[in-house]
Amino acid sequence: MSGRLLGAMLAHWRQSRTLTVLTVLGVALGVGSVVCIQLINQGALAAFAGGMRAVSGEADLVVLGHGPDLDETIYREVLAHPDVRAAWPLVRAWAKVAGREDEFVDIVGVDVFAPVDYPVDVGGSDAALGGLADMLTDPGWIALTPEFAGELDLAVGDTFTVAVSDRLLTLSVGALVDFRRRAPLASRKLALMDIAQAQHLLDRGGHVDQIDVRIRRDRDLATAQRRLQDTLGPGVRVLSPEQRQESAAGLLAAFRLNLTALSLISVMVGVFLIFSAVHASLVRRRRQFGLLRSLGAERGQVLRVILLEAALLGVAGTLVGLPIGYGAAMLNVDTVSSTLTSIYLLDEIEQLRFPPLLVVVAVAVGLGGALLGALLPALDISRRDPVALLGAAGLPERIGRMAPGLALLGLGILLAVGIWYSAGGHELRTAGFVLAFFLMVSLPLMTPLVLRAVCSRIPPRGFGWRLGWRGLATRLQSTSFAVAALAVTVSMLVGITLLIGSFRATLDTWIARSLTADIYVTGASWQRDLGRTALSDTVRTRLAAHDAVEYVDLQRRREGRTDSGRPVRLIAIAREGRTDEHWSARTPLLAGDLDRLAGRLDDGAVVISEPLARGLDLAVGDSLRLATPDGPRARPIAGIAYDYASEHGVAYMAVPTLESMIGPVGVAAMALTLEPGRDPERVIDALRSELAGHALELRSNRRLRAEVVDIFDQTFAITRILQFMALVIAVCGVSLTLLIMARERATELALYRALGATRRQVFGLGLGEGTGLGALGLALGLGGGAALAAILILVINRDWFGWTIRFALPAGALLAQAVWIMGGAVLAAVYPALRASRTPASELTREDLL
Amino acid sequence: MADCLLEFQDVHREFATPAGPSRPVLLGVDFAVERGASLAMVGRSGSGKSTLLHLAAGIDLPSRGEVRLAGRSLASLDDPVRSRLRRDHVGLVFQFFHLLPHLTVRDNVSLPGWIAGDPHAEVRARAEDLLAAVELGDRGDDLAGRLSGGQMQRVAICRALQRRPGLVLADEPTGNLDETVGARVMDLLVGLCADEGVGLLYVTHSREQASRADRVLRLRDGRLAAAEAPA
Ligand SMILES: Nc1ncnc2c1ncn2[C@@H]1O[C@H](COP(=O)(O)OP(=O)(O)O)[C@@H](O)[C@H]1O
Ligand SMILES: [Mg+2]
Repeated sequence: MSGRLLGAMLAHWRQSRTLTVLTVLGVALGVGSVVCIQLINQGALAAFAGGMRAVSGEADLVVLGHGPDLDETIYREVLAHPDVRAAWPLVRAWAKVAGREDEFVDIVGVDVFAPVDYPVDVGGSDAALGGLADMLTDPGWIALTPEFAGELDLAVGDTFTVAVSDRLLTLSVGALVDFRRRAPLASRKLALMDIAQAQHLLDRGGHVDQIDVRIRRDRDLATAQRRLQDTLGPGVRVLSPEQRQESAAGLLAAFRLNLTALSLISVMVGVFLIFSAVHASLVRRRRQFGLLRSLGAERGQVLRVILLEAALLGVAGTLVGLPIGYGAAMLNVDTVSSTLTSIYLLDEIEQLRFPPLLVVVAVAVGLGGALLGALLPALDISRRDPVALLGAAGLPERIGRMAPGLALLGLGILLAVGIWYSAGGHELRTAGFVLAFFLMVSLPLMTPLVLRAVCSRIPPRGFGWRLGWRGLATRLQSTSFAVAALAVTVSMLVGITLLIGSFRATLDTWIARSLTADIYVTGASWQRDLGRTALSDTVRTRLAAHDAVEYVDLQRRREGRTDSGRPVRLIAIAREGRTDEHWSARTPLLAGDLDRLAGRLDDGAVVISEPLARGLDLAVGDSLRLATPDGPRARPIAGIAYDYASEHGVAYMAVPTLESMIGPVGVAAMALTLEPGRDPERVIDALRSELAGHALELRSNRRLRAEVVDIFDQTFAITRILQFMALVIAVCGVSLTLLIMARERATELALYRALGATRRQVFGLGLGEGTGLGALGLALGLGGGAALAAILILVINRDWFGWTIRFALPAGALLAQAVWIMGGAVLAAVYPALRASRTPASELTREDLL
Repeated sequence: MADCLLEFQDVHREFATPAGPSRPVLLGVDFAVERGASLAMVGRSGSGKSTLLHLAAGIDLPSRGEVRLAGRSLASLDDPVRSRLRRDHVGLVFQFFHLLPHLTVRDNVSLPGWIAGDPHAEVRARAEDLLAAVELGDRGDDLAGRLSGGQMQRVAICRALQRRPGLVLADEPTGNLDETVGARVMDLLVGLCADEGVGLLYVTHSREQASRADRVLRLRDGRLAAAEAPA
């Protein structure tokens, strides 16, 4: 019976085409944002995993340093271990392809005798690595992936130039290597080279990046791992592939969680939309249901039919949402890749794969959202008795009576969550998300009361927008949902805009105080390797001796770890020729005594960045425990610096302190302060031609600042598409509501026409209603957005990132958003208003309408 | 017939049916309402009385023939002009009152003035006067939804008269009221129209109410004929 019933019921959706399209679109966009974010999140991890599998697929375990590299001698220790069946070292390096903008090659230096089947192809025939004598003897021999060779227009036998730091190297394409045969998601930029050649060319004598290990077949992996770690000592890390992947996931945890939370807001807005659509469709068909019930259909049957119907809408929305999500992910994958490489030092996402599980997630979101949205109205209709359903009068608007109660409930929720938070909830790392979630729940609960209070107070003077606004209060059931959905969306828009604006203003202040030199010099590969390879001595001495330069600050740096495993960037910046002139002694401090800082740094103390201090709960006077090749080392903390350069943490120290822990470190970057009156751009031009044989990046202060801000903007670019999708859903909601209202009020509109109102006047009334919904959503959303911004900045940021962000009011951005929102609402009102204006006055005598 | 506000000349109206031939409702209606005159229209349910009123108000257009309101042929006018003509010359009273429940009684009466863009003070003063005339002067600030049926129809009469139209069209104005209340409403309607010199065309099923008009017309088989003279 249900099947037949459903068929009859579905005819309704076929007739109400606009309503159906809007509903499906709402679901689709909700599903789309979830799919987009999950694709990108999983893409980021899959890229890392793909790279790992392509290079180290045969390894059971990997030996890594705490910093970027390992002393070669450890290789012998590993080989000698009784549990180890085979081990082979690797060298990794990023090199920039000369003459190409932003094109890098990811060089993997491998041992020819490593028991790994790299899919190398020399001119059409596959060859085992061991047979490639050329690899060892041809200087600069390298194997590229077929894709990358194609992009660079290179064939086997061709040569090309790359830059590692400031040095230019000539490489020759000796073979092609199809890493994607080993791991489909591997980067096309991976390239193979002999390890000894790589060490030589990359200036890595005596060091390797990792040692891949295969364990004897009869040994238990976990035990072997523990024993190997014990043998090698705390100077290295022995990790399984799963652990490496987890640690990459851990790096991205905050980034991924935030995006996921944002995408769920779209789902929430979508659920509201379903609710109004299903509610409206049920109210219109109430007689149909009354008839069914009086003919003996049971409540359960009616409920089932309605939910089935919603499920079909959900599935339709999911089908449309999947490609939307994929498209949105494609549009954003480049900016997210930039963030992954520049902030998290991970691989970029080159390909998006649709994991089958994601389809399941998408269906769950679409179907679940649709059912959730339909449940309340379905229960409501199925519980009414047939007489009430068949009655001539419309169903009473329950929401009006419930408005004060709902608002109280909303306030109560806020109060309860506030109490929970201050009574101990704040210790949870997810507390901020809990706060944000309940804020977004309570806002809709307060909407009906606010809506009624505002709209019923507007004196309807004349036939115009005021009368339209007043009318909003009388259809609370419909209008509340549109306003609530809009309010939630606007909260998200405004909250994020306030966060970004405040963050950006804070960053600007910090940059202005910390970037004070005139010219910044790095090697050409800096963008990827972040100073892993030092600048050459000639560059350094010639820059320092240049007559335009007053003095030079030299930066030495290494990616390192605390002994608890948290990544921390170790940086020493000192003036050329002076060991007591520390740049970090001039950085803006959050805590610590600036006057005594230089002395303390000379004595071996460190200055740590704010996120590190908050993340590890460290204060001035505590010590920072760092993992070094010789085991953990503790250094006293002399200051905590405002620092926005790294999410995980930075420790600034004197050069001797750095080198005492990890050995000699070359200069990776230089900051030149010019003699007064010198024009940086002119000096840069002069330096470029003087040092033409070196691959250098010379940035003026202005350009560096602009690049920092660009990276910042890129990091938030993905939020923009989420904001946009949520806004479109909310605008669909406004449109849907106005359409529903135009239908439900056909009699009222007909009356206006009968009393002599022109079509244009009725159209204006409809537009007025649209602006009313928009303005109320905007007003409520501004309040919610301010609260959300406070949660984002003071709670979520503190718990997950740990930055001090000063509130700023990005007035321009907010104004632009308000214009967008109001524009969206008015646009959403055009079609419904047009429909409303076409209501014939003769509808008045059709009794079935009221 | 220059002093006729409303004239029907050989008016036909048929409605398209979803399948099959169109259904004729009016088959050549001729009549006119002189200024200040009152006309009652009787006829079976479904005979086309409401259709005729719609045509008279310019809400609907004839399939054939001519309807002239204030001397202008409605079919030749575009919608905005027709709307303006309606708002200037016609007041409507409906069986189901059609008040806006969320507006006050006074605002309901003011509505036609608002639509026409009349000065607020005048609209308001006129509403007060009319409400006083139907003995609802003290209910102006109440929400219309709170009134009884008879009260609602009295408000609807005030609304119809708000802009001093030349003609009031009333479609079974007492159809939803009991007899005594209906009689009282009818008194007010006929009385007010007479006082203000407004023409009145109303539909009724009650012989007694029909008898209060200057003329009674019967709609039968798509045509209008004079019924028995008023008693
Ligand atoms: N818009 C319409 N479309 C189709 N048929 C209509 C329409 N309006 C009225 N009718 C038909 O015209 C006939 C007369 O209706 P109506 O004028 O309402 O009669 P009365 O008011 O005398 O009861 C009825 O049969 C009705 O079904
Ligand atoms: Mg009728």
